[in-house]
Amino acid sequence: MSSPEQWTHPEPGGGPAATAATPTREQVLAGLRATNEGGAELVELLTPEGERVANPEFDPYVADIGAEELRRLYRDMVLVRRADREGNALQRQGQLGIWVPLLGQEAAQIGAGRALKPQDMAFPSYREHGVAWCRGVRPEQILATFRGTEHSEWDPVAHRFHPYTIVIGNQVLNATGYAMGQRFEGKVGPESDAEATMVFFGDGATSQGDVHEGFVWAAVYDAPVVFFCQNNQWAISEPTERQSRLPLYQRARGYGFPGIRVDGNDVLASLAVSRWALEECRSGNGPVLIEAFTYRMDAHTTSDDPTRYRLSDELEAWKLKDPIERVRAYLVRNGLAEADFFEQVQVDADQLASELRAYCFSMPDPPADRIFRNVYAEPNPLLEKERAEYAAYQAGFEGGAH
Amino acid sequence: MAAPVMDPKVTAATQSTRLTMGKAINLGLRTAMERDSKVIVMGEDVGKMGGVYRITDGLQKDFGEQRVLDTPLAESGIIGTAVGLAVRGFRPVCEIQFEGFIFPGFDQISSQVAKLHYRTQGMLKVPMVIRVPFGGGVGAVEHHSESPESLFAHLPGLRVVSCSNPVDAYWMIQQAIDCDDPVLFFEPKRRYHEKDEINTEATPYPLFRSKVLRPGSTATLVSYGPLVKTCLEAANAATEDGHELEVIDLRTLSPLDLDPVFESVRRTGHLVVASEAAGEVSIASEIADRVQRECFYSLEAPVLKVTGFNTPYPPSKVEDEYLPDLDRVLDAVDRSLAW
Amino acid sequence: MPDYKRFPLPDVGEGLVEAEILTWHVQPGQAVKVNDIFVEIETSKAAVELPAPYEGVVTELLAQPGETVAVGTPIIVFDIDPNGAPKESTSDSNGTKIGEESAGGRIQSLVGYGPKTGAATRRARKGATATTVVEPPAPEPEPVVTGGYVPLAKPPVRKLAKDLGVDLRSLAVEGQVITRDAVERAAAPAAVEAPKIVSAGERETRVPIRGVRKATAKAMVDSAFTAPHVTEFLTIDVTPMMDLREKLKRHPEFRDVKVTPLVFAAKAVCLAVRRTPDINAVWDQANGEIVYKSYVHLGIAAATPRGLVVPKVHDADQMSLRELAEAISALTVKARDGKTTPADMANGTFTITNVGVFGVDTGTPIINPGESAILALGAIRDMPWVVDGQVVPRKVCQLSLSFDHRVVDGQQGSEFLADVGALLADPSIAITY
Repeated sequence: MSSPEQWTHPEPGGGPAATAATPTREQVLAGLRATNEGGAELVELLTPEGERVANPEFDPYVADIGAEELRRLYRDMVLVRRADREGNALQRQGQLGIWVPLLGQEAAQIGAGRALKPQDMAFPSYREHGVAWCRGVRPEQILATFRGTEHSEWDPVAHRFHPYTIVIGNQVLNATGYAMGQRFEGKVGPESDAEATMVFFGDGATSQGDVHEGFVWAAVYDAPVVFFCQNNQWAISEPTERQSRLPLYQRARGYGFPGIRVDGNDVLASLAVSRWALEECRSGNGPVLIEAFTYRMDAHTTSDDPTRYRLSDELEAWKLKDPIERVRAYLVRNGLAEADFFEQVQVDADQLASELRAYCFSMPDPPADRIFRNVYAEPNPLLEKERAEYAAYQAGFEGGAH
Repeated sequence: MAAPVMDPKVTAATQSTRLTMGKAINLGLRTAMERDSKVIVMGEDVGKMGGVYRITDGLQKDFGEQRVLDTPLAESGIIGTAVGLAVRGFRPVCEIQFEGFIFPGFDQISSQVAKLHYRTQGMLKVPMVIRVPFGGGVGAVEHHSESPESLFAHLPGLRVVSCSNPVDAYWMIQQAIDCDDPVLFFEPKRRYHEKDEINTEATPYPLFRSKVLRPGSTATLVSYGPLVKTCLEAANAATEDGHELEVIDLRTLSPLDLDPVFESVRRTGHLVVASEAAGEVSIASEIADRVQRECFYSLEAPVLKVTGFNTPYPPSKVEDEYLPDLDRVLDAVDRSLAW
Repeated sequence: MPDYKRFPLPDVGEGLVEAEILTWHVQPGQAVKVNDIFVEIETSKAAVELPAPYEGVVTELLAQPGETVAVGTPIIVFDIDPNGAPKESTSDSNGTKIGEESAGGRIQSLVGYGPKTGAATRRARKGATATTVVEPPAPEPEPVVTGGYVPLAKPPVRKLAKDLGVDLRSLAVEGQVITRDAVERAAAPAAVEAPKIVSAGERETRVPIRGVRKATAKAMVDSAFTAPHVTEFLTIDVTPMMDLREKLKRHPEFRDVKVTPLVFAAKAVCLAVRRTPDINAVWDQANGEIVYKSYVHLGIAAATPRGLVVPKVHDADQMSLRELAEAISALTVKARDGKTTPADMANGTFTITNVGVFGVDTGTPIINPGESAILALGAIRDMPWVVDGQVVPRKVCQLSLSFDHRVVDGQQGSEFLADVGALLADPSIAITY
C-alpha cells in the first residue's frame, strides 16, 4: 500500500503514483489532512491551552518578550478584535456598505505587524486591519474604504502601509517590485537600517498567477520580501484543498526559497517566525514564504453567509484554539497580569469602539467633485472640461448640487 | 545635466544626426537614463540582447544589470513589479515585447497602474512608461501585428501616446519618462527602420499635443502611428486631382488633442480618420463623435473612418488587404468630397 | 422627554432590496445597549442578526415576524432618552444625521436604502435658462487661417440648399449659423406678413409692395414682355363629361375622391400634350435652345390668402384620373392653408387656371415664366346648343389657351386646343390615344 505521507511529499521517482488516475482513499485523506491540519512542521510556541513549548530554532527571536511585552501583545489583539466587531456591527446598522472581518486572525496579524521595523514596508490585501494597527493606521482611517467615502484614506508613504488591494494577488507583484527597489538602492545587507518588505495574502490568492510570478521574480532577483500567507482555510466558500494539493508553505520549495508553516493563532510564533524571516530578507537571504495556519472565524465579508458551505462543528473546534484566550490563560496561570489589567484592557477596547462609532456616524460624504480629483498627476484639459460641464449642469437645479 | 555619452553615430560637429526610429528611441532612453538615475528599463530580452528590435541595445552594457533588467517571462510580473518600483521612487520603463502579449499585464495596468494615484488621492504616483511595439505590415505570425490602443485609451488614469516618426520618437520617449503619470507608449514597428535627421538641441514639441504635418484646404486627414506616413503619401498623390489634403498627426491618444482637428474641419468641412485598428469602438470612433459635436455646422459630409476590418488580424499573406493603404484613404476622401 | 429614533432596515449585503423579519429578540419596554442583538432577518443571501444601533428602550416593533420589508423601511423605534428633558425638534433636513428622521419624514440612512427602488423623480430646475454650457478657460487659439471657412449650417439645411440650388456662401455671415428660413427665402421669395396699411391721407390707402404680390408682379411682367402671347378660344359642350362625372361618383374606385371639371381638364391636357409636345417645351434664351420635356409638371393656379400661388403636380402625365384628382385636391388644400413649399412650386411645364370657379367664362391668361402655354378653364353653364339640328340646353364651357409664339406656332396651338376640347366634349375619345 502506498504511503499516504508520500502523497503529500511527491518526489520524482520516490512517490506513489495514483494508479490509473485514481488515488487511494488514504491518499485523498492524506492530501486533505495536509491542507486542513497543522501538521508536524507547524511552528508553535504557545499551545491553545496557553502552555509555552520550547522551540530551539525560534525561541531566541522572542527572548525579549517578557511579561510587559506579552501584555502589550494581548492588548493589541483585544483592541483589534474589538474594533473589528464594531466595524461588523456598524455595517449591520447601515453605517458601512461592507465590512471585512479579521475575527480569529488577530495573532497572525499582530505577530507579523509587530515584527516589522519602521523602515520596512507592508503590502496588505484587504483584511489586515491588525497589521494596519501596528503600522499606526487607526481603525477610523480604515472606515472610509468600507463606507464608500474614499477608496483609501491613510498615507501609504508615511505609514509604510500600502492601500488595500482588492484584486486578489496584485499586491504580491507590487510588493516584490518594491522589495527589488530596496535591493537596488543598497538597503539589503548587514547595516542596521537594512530594509525588508512583507506582503500579505490569503490561501485563495496562492492560485493567482500574480502570486506565482511574484515568487519567480523574488527568487530571481533575491528580493527582500516576506510572503506572509494567512491560510484561514477558506476563500469565501472554497476550502484550501480547492487551491492546493499540498500544504501551501511547501510551494516555496518549488521556487527555490524557504517556506515555513506557523500556528497563525499563536502570536508568539507568528512574531518569532516573522522576525526571523524579515531578518533573513534584510540581510540578503530573501525571499521567504510564511504560511500562518489560522481560521476565518467570521464570514468572508458581511455579504457572505458561511452557514451555506461550512459546518458549525468546524467553527466550534477552532474556538478552542482562540488566539486571545491562550495568551490570557498563560498570563493568568503565570501570574503575569492582574484583574485590573484585564479590566483596563476592556475599558480601552470599549473606548476605542465608541470613538470609532462616533467617528463613523459623523463622516461626511465627499463632494461631487471628488470624482474628478487626482485622476492624473499632471493637468488634463479634457477632464477639466468634463468637470466644468458637470458643475454647470448641477448649478441648473434648485438647491444647487445634491 | 551630465554630458551625454556619445554614441558613435552622433557626429561631433553638430548635434544633428540621421537615425532610424529604433535608434532614436534608443538614444532617447539613454539620454533619460543619464539624466535621472531612477530611470530603469525592464522587460524580456532587453538587457544582454538589447531587445528583439534592438531598441534597448547597448544600455545594459553601459548602465548595468540593476538599471536594465532582463526579466522573467511574464507580462503581469513585469508590470506588477514595476508598480512596486514606482511606489519605491523609481521611474520604470517597461518593454512589452509585442502588443499581442500585453494582455496578461492588462489586470495590473487596469487595476493598479491606472488607479493607484486616484485610489490614494494623489499620495502615490506611478511615473512609469510601458513601451509596446504595435501595428502590422511586417509579415508576422499571429499576435505580432495588432492595434489594441483603444483598450488602453479607454482607461481613465492612463495616458496613451504613439510616435509616427524618428524625431517624435526621440523626444516623446523622454517626455513620457518625465511625465508623472503612467504612459502607454505605442511604437509603430513597421516604421522602426525609417530614418530622419534628429537635432538633439532642438526645443521639443509638447508631448500631449497633436500636430499639423501638412497644411491643406480640401479635406482633413487624421491619423497616428504607422498610418501617418501613408496619409502623407496619399496627400501627395491627391494633388494630381487638384486636392490639397491637410494631414494631422494625433500623437496623443489619451488625452486626445483635437483642437487642431476642429480648426481644420471648420475650414475644409471634410474629415477622414485612418488607423490600422478595427474600426468599431475605436480611437477613430471617438474622434468622429467629438468632431460631429464640435463642428456640426461645418461638416459637408459625415466623418469617414478608414480602418482595419472588424476581424482578428488576418494571416500575413492577406494583411495588405486588411491594412488601410493609400488607395483606401483616397477613396474615403473622394467619397467625402462627393457627399 | 423621550427621544425617539426610528431605525430603518439596512442593506446588509451590498445591494439587497428587502429582507424578511425572522425573530425579534426584544420586546417593547425592554432596555437595550449598543450592539445588543435585537432581531434576526433573512435576506436572499443569508440569515443575519442585527445589533442595536442605540442604547435606550424599545418603544415599538414596526414589522411582524414573517413579514418582508423593503430596505429603508423603519422596523423598530427606540427611545434613546426615556428620562430626559424636553428637546427642540430638529426640523432642518440638511442637519439630520444618519439614522435620524428629518422633518419630511425621511430617514437618513447611509446605505439603508440599498439600490434605489421605486420610480425615479425629477429634480426641479432653476428658471428657464437651465441648460447653459459653461465654456472652460480656452487655451490660446492657434493663429487662424484668414478666410476660407465653411459656411455654418446644419446638415439638413445644407441639403435643402443643395436641392434648391442656393449657394450657402452667399448667405454666410461670420460666426452665424444659416437657418432653413434663410435658405428658403433665398430660393423663392415668400413673406407671410400681412401687408401694413400706411395711410397718407383720408382718400388714399397705401400698401407697400412686397411678398407674394411683388413676386407675382415680377413674374407677370417678365412673362408678358418677353414671350409673344397668342390667345385662342374654344367653346365646347361638356355634357358628356358631366355625365361621366356623375357616373364616376357612383363608381367604387372614385367614391371617396372628387373628380371636378378641373381634374378632367388636367387629364385632357396630359393626353393632348402627347400629340403636341411643343406645348410642353420652353424657350431657353440664355442657352439658345428650346427645351423639350418628357414629363408634365402641371401647375394649378390657386388663389390663397397670401395671393396667387401655382403649385405643381409633378409627373402628372404618369398619373391616372384618380391620382390626378387626389393630387390636385391635396395641392389645393395645402395652398389654402398657406403651406405650399418652394419645392412644390418649382419646375412647372404647363399651367391650368380655373377661372370658372369665379363664374367667369374666359380670359387671356398670362403664361408662367419657364413655360410656354397656359389654359384657362371657364365656368360650365347651361347654354343653348345645337344637337341634331335642334336647339337644346347643354352644359357649355369656354376654354382659352395662351401660348408662346416663339415656341408654339398657330397650327400647334390650335391642334392642341382642339384636342383638349374634343376630350372634354367627349371623354370616350381618350380611348383612341
